[in-house]
Amino acid sequence: MYAGHYAAGLAIKANQPQAPTWALLLGVGFLDVLFGIFVMLGIEHVSVTPGISPGFSLDFIDWSHSLAMSIVWALLFSSFFWRRGKAVALAVGFAVFSHFLLDWPMHPHDLALWPHSSIHIGLGLWRLLPVGWWWVELVFIAAACCYYVARGRSLWACAVVVLLHVVNSPWLAVAK
Amino acid sequence: MSSFGFGLLCLISFTVPVPILAWLDRIWRKR
Repeated sequence: MYAGHYAAGLAIKANQPQAPTWALLLGVGFLDVLFGIFVMLGIEHVSVTPGISPGFSLDFIDWSHSLAMSIVWALLFSSFFWRRGKAVALAVGFAVFSHFLLDWPMHPHDLALWPHSSIHIGLGLWRLLPVGWWWVELVFIAAACCYYVARGRSLWACAVVVLLHVVNSPWLAVAK
Repeated sequence: MSSFGFGLLCLISFTVPVPILAWLDRIWRKR
């Protein structure tokens, strides 16, 4: 999932307006920020699989994306916001952990329970529905954006999220 | 695409939109 994470961040913002928007939006993608850094450092591994949805195989992502580490990153990230109050810290922590929750339906059994665990989970919609996953994510984005806009927030932010989702479609994505 | 390039693309994809979306949320809020 890509743009759906941002949609989740906007929905959390609508629910907790006092939480910093940048922190929520960075939080929802924090596991993938770490993943990008870890891959560049050679700590985690990915291989490109042209023609096989979603266009890449996440061979080892345990330090950024495992269930246990998702909780650790959420607690660590939210710890910087305790001074702003419990509600803000919880919202920011949930934003980080929401990444794992939203990745679970998409990822094909590459989400470990903890680093180097033999147990990996993930429903695998990327593989089961090579094109349909995009529509599933769009439904989630639509629902999250409806909630966000209904709470009186920016239509334009939602438009950008939808644009990101279009760019990440099976027809246009860089890695496909 | 190399692994390094994939990681860099991922890093950019999850950082660049953050200030843009935060700005839109602040500036163009529905009144």
